[in-house]
Amino acid sequence: MLKTIGTGGAAALLLAGTALANPYAPYEGTTVVAMFPAHPHYDAAIAVLDDFTEETGIEVEVDQLQYLRMRERQTLELTKDEGDYDLISFVVFSKADYVYADQLENLAKYFMNPALADPNYDQSDLITGYVQNIGVAGGQKGYLPGQLGSAFGIPFGSETSVLAYRQDIFDKHGLEAPETYDELLEIACQIPELEPGMGGMASRAASGHQASHAFLLHLAPLGGRVFDDNWEPIINNEAGVEAANALKTIVDCGPEGGTTFGPSEAAAAFKQGQAAMFMDSIAFAAGFEDPSESTVAGNVGYALHPMGVRRGSQTGGFGLAIPKNAQNKEAAFLLMQWLTSKEGDLKVAMEGGNPSRFSTYQNAELNEKYPYSATFGEALEYADPDWRPIIPTWGEINADIGTTMSQVLTEGLDPQEALDGVAERARDIMEQAGYYTWQDAAAE
Amino acid sequence: MLANANRMTPYLFLAPAVLVMAVALLYPIGYMIWASFLDWSPSQRIGEAEFVGLRNYGNLLGDAAFHESFWVTLRFAALVVGIEMVLGVGLALLLDRELRGMTVLRTVFILPMMIAPIVVGLMWRYMYHPTVGTFNRTLSDLGLPTVPWLSDGDWAFASVVIADIWQWTPFIFILALAALQSLPRSAMEAARIDGASGWQLIWHIKLPLMMPVLIVTALLRLIDAFKVLEVILVMTNGGPGLSTEILALRISRTASEFQQLGYAAAMSNVLLILLLILTLAMFGYTKVQELRAARIRAAEEEA
Repeated sequence: MLKTIGTGGAAALLLAGTALANPYAPYEGTTVVAMFPAHPHYDAAIAVLDDFTEETGIEVEVDQLQYLRMRERQTLELTKDEGDYDLISFVVFSKADYVYADQLENLAKYFMNPALADPNYDQSDLITGYVQNIGVAGGQKGYLPGQLGSAFGIPFGSETSVLAYRQDIFDKHGLEAPETYDELLEIACQIPELEPGMGGMASRAASGHQASHAFLLHLAPLGGRVFDDNWEPIINNEAGVEAANALKTIVDCGPEGGTTFGPSEAAAAFKQGQAAMFMDSIAFAAGFEDPSESTVAGNVGYALHPMGVRRGSQTGGFGLAIPKNAQNKEAAFLLMQWLTSKEGDLKVAMEGGNPSRFSTYQNAELNEKYPYSATFGEALEYADPDWRPIIPTWGEINADIGTTMSQVLTEGLDPQEALDGVAERARDIMEQAGYYTWQDAAAE
Repeated sequence: MLANANRMTPYLFLAPAVLVMAVALLYPIGYMIWASFLDWSPSQRIGEAEFVGLRNYGNLLGDAAFHESFWVTLRFAALVVGIEMVLGVGLALLLDRELRGMTVLRTVFILPMMIAPIVVGLMWRYMYHPTVGTFNRTLSDLGLPTVPWLSDGDWAFASVVIADIWQWTPFIFILALAALQSLPRSAMEAARIDGASGWQLIWHIKLPLMMPVLIVTALLRLIDAFKVLEVILVMTNGGPGLSTEILALRISRTASEFQQLGYAAAMSNVLLILLLILTLAMFGYTKVQELRAARIRAAEEEA
């Protein structure tokens, strides 16, 4: 009897010994259940998961959903006592909701655990704008970089905006890729005259989230913001009106039916040669270069998001996080760390994903396979983490901006009047959510 | 004693069904009513939500987007049910005869109803597509100007109305046809002997006799039209602007996009009350009609 206990103990010691030798060993045979969006980057990530299982012995099971559906599912999943998911990918604007409701693991304890944290991980190589935008919460204004912020997620499948244009069409008419907004708008309306039947720029514009996204894309470079530092809406100032007018010009000179476009319709119009420009997420580039779905493959040039009074391309996309109610948190962390490590990031990028690390963008092999990587790397320097606020009330304000913009685009509503309405309603929403409590107290 | 027990027996047999009804029907409704007094986000459990009394209802009063979608819903429901009733009953009157291949025709007619709403939405969305859609291609092939089906507010509203009429006219058609075929032949023969023309027959005999069925049919369609969601969700997602954002869509967006379950519950309750009023009004109307008919009969008998 004693002997068996003795051998048992020895076996445990031995196991502990191997655990030190291979950090993955204690989790061998564990199945990590992940929830990923249906998105080109995550398709690329899924393609390399077999390598992870082979290297570590940890199995991965993936549940893929359309990204807005994924968010709905997560809000329900995260309230359960015992969750079904060990690792989730979250949309950037969910950060506020989940962290505020205390549903995500703070990553500090994992990076402090020497048995889990890979010493070669090199955090400083992660793209700063993405980390601040997607991973960190609790800094300035709660969602921006700040000394007291800490990480709840790691960017994975993050994106910024670039301008894709038809190199062949631009060359034919002696046009240069636009550097500024004035040039952009001028060319956008020149194209339909130079190339009958072709729209200037394909843009999202459908009522709701899409129209709002398209408007905000122009708001930041034109010098505007949704709120000032005291949460007072300033979306209706001069820059706001200019951004609304820019969007209207782009849609008016764009391909037919543009007011109903979501991102995939806009991208499809560009792929089918119905528009000469497309300014949206870098995630679409791989699709443009794929001859099986794109008629313009090989004819697309890429340039930085044009400048207004400042440079400011969007920051968005997804991050990885561990839910508080996950069953296999350590194994999930190991998978997250592996996917976002230098090697993992490069592997995913080579499959067509969006890099999350500076080193990946500098990789020669990647630049050879995807020549546009260099432009994208440069665009990241101007990625603006504050192009839209990431706060719990954003969902409602965002939808209101979107429906109002759609009215500007389709019903001829005056932009100033439209934005005044948005600002007024946004203030009510913010008031009710308690954003003016401190000012009101100070005023009394 | 025995008589007492006999009187109780039916209730005893009914009890299980009543219990199931109470749990399955009243509990969710009670839950929704309770939720409408809460400030409840989906990341909270219902117990953690803050009680805010009538605030949600108060906000509804001043919510321009809600008013707009309420108005859109009313217009949509009135328009589609009105047109569908005329078309459906008209078709039933036309096709109420012995024709060869009638069974096949009827089956073909009710096909649209059997298609899943999401598919109907997708199908129409592609037919309305600005460049490659069936309608605009046909128009441009004929040399006519194309129409901004889904990208202009008024056209988008018309487009969703057309799709709904396409899908639901058959429902009215089959019910009206069934009603027509169950009418007493004697009344029509009597009218014919009295020399009534075809129109007079329809107007004075068939339609009044069908009325009870038609009212229930219209009511069913009206309730459905107030709750229609998927087809519009897929076709326009409420846009452009708020031009096709019917109440059901607004409620769904409030719950999932804005994450305000309490506010969405308050909207649902308003919709529920509206439907209740409509139902009561319809039943009240038939009741009045019946009473009037009974009075006339009684007066005739006296005379």
